[in-house]
Amino acid sequence: MSITAETAKAHAHDPAVLCCRAEGGITIEPANLEDPAIFDDLVDSGLLNLDGCLTIEEVLGAKLLKTCDSLCPLTADVVEGAKAPSAPAEAAPAEEEVKEAVPAPVAAPAAGGILKIHIGEGKDIDLEIPVGALGGGGAAVAEVPQTAVASVAAPAEEAKEEKVVRTLTRKHFNITEVKRGPETKIEGTTLYIREGIEAEVIDNQELVKDFHLEIITPDLYHTYSETIMDVQPIATKEGDDDIGTGVTRVLDGVVMMLTGVDEGGVQIGEFGSSEGYLDENIMWGRPGCPDKGEIFIKGNIVVQEKTNMERRGPMAAHTAFDIITQEIREVMKKLDDSLVTETQELKQVRRPGKKKVVIVKEIMGQGAMHDNFILPVEPVGVLGARANVDLGNVPVCVSPLEVLDGCIHALTCIGPASKEMSRHYWREPLVLEALHDEEVDLCGVVFVGSPQINAEKFYVSKRVGHTVEMMDADGAFVTTEGFGNNHIDFASHIEQIGMRGIPVVGMSYCAVQGALVVGNKYMQYMVDNNKSESGIENEVLGCNTLCPEDAVRAIAMLKTAMAGEDVKAAERKWNPNVKSTNVELIEAAYDRKIALEENEQSLPMSQKRKEKYD
Amino acid sequence: MGNVQMLLRQHVGAPCTAIVKAGDEVKKGTLIATPAGLGANIFSSVYGTVAEVTEDRIIIEPADEQPKEFVPIDVPEDASKLDMVKAAGIVGMGGAGFPTGVKLSINLKETPMGELDPEINPELPADFKLEHGYILINVAECEPGLEHNIRQIEEQCDKVIRGVKYCMEITNADKAIFAIKKKNQKAVKILQKALEGEADISMHLLPDIYPMGEERAVVRECLGVNLTTMQLPSAARSVVVNLETAAKIAEAVDEKKPCITKNLTVRGKLNGGNAAHVFMDVPVGVSVGELIERAGGIDGVYGEIIMGGAFTGKSTKFDEPITKTTGGILVTVEFPDLHGANVGLLVCACGGSEERMREIAEKMNGKVVSVCRCKQAIENKPGAPLKCLRPGNCPGQVKNNMQFKKDKCEYIIIGNCSDCSNTVMASGPKMGLKVFHQTDHVMRTVGHALYRTLKVSKQVSQDIDF
Repeated sequence: MSITAETAKAHAHDPAVLCCRAEGGITIEPANLEDPAIFDDLVDSGLLNLDGCLTIEEVLGAKLLKTCDSLCPLTADVVEGAKAPSAPAEAAPAEEEVKEAVPAPVAAPAAGGILKIHIGEGKDIDLEIPVGALGGGGAAVAEVPQTAVASVAAPAEEAKEEKVVRTLTRKHFNITEVKRGPETKIEGTTLYIREGIEAEVIDNQELVKDFHLEIITPDLYHTYSETIMDVQPIATKEGDDDIGTGVTRVLDGVVMMLTGVDEGGVQIGEFGSSEGYLDENIMWGRPGCPDKGEIFIKGNIVVQEKTNMERRGPMAAHTAFDIITQEIREVMKKLDDSLVTETQELKQVRRPGKKKVVIVKEIMGQGAMHDNFILPVEPVGVLGARANVDLGNVPVCVSPLEVLDGCIHALTCIGPASKEMSRHYWREPLVLEALHDEEVDLCGVVFVGSPQINAEKFYVSKRVGHTVEMMDADGAFVTTEGFGNNHIDFASHIEQIGMRGIPVVGMSYCAVQGALVVGNKYMQYMVDNNKSESGIENEVLGCNTLCPEDAVRAIAMLKTAMAGEDVKAAERKWNPNVKSTNVELIEAAYDRKIALEENEQSLPMSQKRKEKYD
Repeated sequence: MGNVQMLLRQHVGAPCTAIVKAGDEVKKGTLIATPAGLGANIFSSVYGTVAEVTEDRIIIEPADEQPKEFVPIDVPEDASKLDMVKAAGIVGMGGAGFPTGVKLSINLKETPMGELDPEINPELPADFKLEHGYILINVAECEPGLEHNIRQIEEQCDKVIRGVKYCMEITNADKAIFAIKKKNQKAVKILQKALEGEADISMHLLPDIYPMGEERAVVRECLGVNLTTMQLPSAARSVVVNLETAAKIAEAVDEKKPCITKNLTVRGKLNGGNAAHVFMDVPVGVSVGELIERAGGIDGVYGEIIMGGAFTGKSTKFDEPITKTTGGILVTVEFPDLHGANVGLLVCACGGSEERMREIAEKMNGKVVSVCRCKQAIENKPGAPLKCLRPGNCPGQVKNNMQFKKDKCEYIIIGNCSDCSNTVMASGPKMGLKVFHQTDHVMRTVGHALYRTLKVSKQVSQDIDF
């Protein structure tokens, strides 16, 4: 497609190719030229040969000597009066090499793509698919000259003192054994769950038709399971403490795990579900997943037929399952402090004078079956919470400590590799990393839902824009779970914040299968959460969710962006090497080792993966 | 003569309100419907009796005797020329149907130059101004296969020029330019002779590409100014008038004649061959079938009947009536059968709407799996007809072809202009896309070259060198 003067300027050093037939004698202007963004695909398919092609800045204003057809590369023999190139194109990569060789410069990471599709004001979005798999998540390396680092660091010197807004104490109790018994109780490190509690779970909700409780100890990890609907910490508040403050008691060594099907045997969220042998389908140690060695209190719920893809089915399952967790919570409240194995104090720190950043977490709220309970009374509880869908998916501001104290009870749906389980929020890596980073001032976390309908998506994204605007934030992160539908909101959130002059780092699983379907000019700073080998949604629980390594890259990138430095554009196709380069650059710059997560290749190969993916 | 059907909406604007009822006797020129909002008077085109008034039309049973005389328009002695144009119910006869009385209600002397978009006018200085006010007469007759416009220049040049002078007078325009394709050598010569001694009226020769008759293309060709899709010719201190409209203006002023007839071309797969049948002064409201019979009748099986031109016309039926804006009736050869293959549609402002393109795909037995729109096709308001940002100058099409390929199209049907079609051809076939143009069946029928690659220049010399 023909380009504008602005695009021509941006692509001054790219090849000049006629977009359409142009007649001899004309003066070449931007409208005569094809958009260089599509050349790679054309060259790949043999439609275009750029050998000897002049650059756009060379040909603009020059005279075309003879009539040439569409897609004709402009070479010296058909153009008269070409300008001399301003900076020889060959020099550019060399310059980069030089920069990389300088030992001191801080390099910031980047992953992501600049997509050429504009979303006008978040309205009338055309779902244009970037031709040639732009690999939205692809990645790019950014280099930050030292001056840029200084500009981030400079305010630090005059910064006021850190301020602890509030604290949250976590008291840990260790559990080494889970048994069934006549009553629910904890003796030493043994947790007993009352026999017959299953009947109460079934009776609690009309839609719950059957329920079985299993205790999965590490030797039983190779057990078949229906799809995993949630992984939850077992935690309770002391006294009347609110979520996000005061004292929370938590059991170590054990998690709640909800699995389920409908009466017809259809998985909850069939079409992208994690059923199979547990040890083949769980990415151990992900923030939202169990850690290897933990015991699972696994409840398998059967919901009424055909409610597996409706919101009410999973809601009933989660609500009923919480009866067991709640009974454990009641027991925990009475535990003697002598059983506490570790006490941890989480501080919400504000750093006045530092770059103020906000984390916007997009959570699912399509409503078909995907929802989130927000701010229950107990950590990851049900009572007192409001369903995201019922709140209209509008932004809800929470403190970082509320996030880490289980203010989100997640009802995730299809696509287990990229969905954030309840436990994810309990250990949310970006919140933790930003809270602990002394160079930034994390002002808070905004949860915003991803509604089903486009009009509603833009309704909420505009609220996000205003919310962030009134925070006077210097920078923002926008994270999302899933891919595809939610990327429409994701792009719009970034645009709404970006158009207010606030740099935004976007974080999502993209890679190959989740390549962004929409984009805008503010999506310059993207971090891909992909860990899978092939860049796909491999149905392994939590595989492609946000991990500490992603948080580190995102923060480094936002600092780069806030310093006004450019982040290099993404490569055209997804290239996992870009991420590793970025990680190396950060390690060198900050002198810290970044532990990279393992992916599904570390798990025993499942039949499903063998057949469908690897 | 069969029943005559006068549609209540044959112009841009709201439907008119019928002021006659069943049983009323009408004459040629009897006012039968008046505007309810933007619109133009509608008169009976025949002598006869009103048979029925329905929601969208007045059906008149014609009398056996049809004298030449007509009822003159009802205007006071001292009525202005503009009042006469308004009273006569004249609308843009090139096809758009904008009420001419409204269009001419402008004083070009006092009309300032509009603000030009520098992006599409890179060659003009920022403070570019036109010194004159212009009437631009559209003689492009751009829809391939139609001949009634050129025939009218050849036969009624004086009447057209009279009409143009009235337009100049009404709008205070000091200049007028006829825009005509250079290939129409006979008409150009006749016009040249007629314009001898007319200091303020000139001629601009157009190349033989589509589209040249688009209003803003006429402005650009004659005056060198590119208008945005939202701008009217008044932004270039001009008014564009179709030649047939000009002739109707002359009739209204000189003869007090209401707008009740239309010139048109009937052509296609007809008994006796595919040459054009030009019918002048056909009463508005006559049925398509009657005109096809008058031209010899359909020769065997056919594809479809189009009312209007190959690019912008719509399919029609035998019993539909012609209106003040009907320029052509085309009977086409049969459609090729794509046997349910995947088809992509490239929708453009120059050709049919997406609905029309889908209709053609269906008639070709293709399965539409992808729809792209030319980058320059602008929808000014949701649902409004598309308008081309730079008519006749392609913005590049390869990206659309890539999309079609991605959507697994085997065939594409395009509705583009000459230049854009050429661009589609530069990459489409190489990518393995088989290209049809929405006008192919018409071009095959009338023996016109198919719209594919462009072989002629978009520039023609203004010398009358033949």
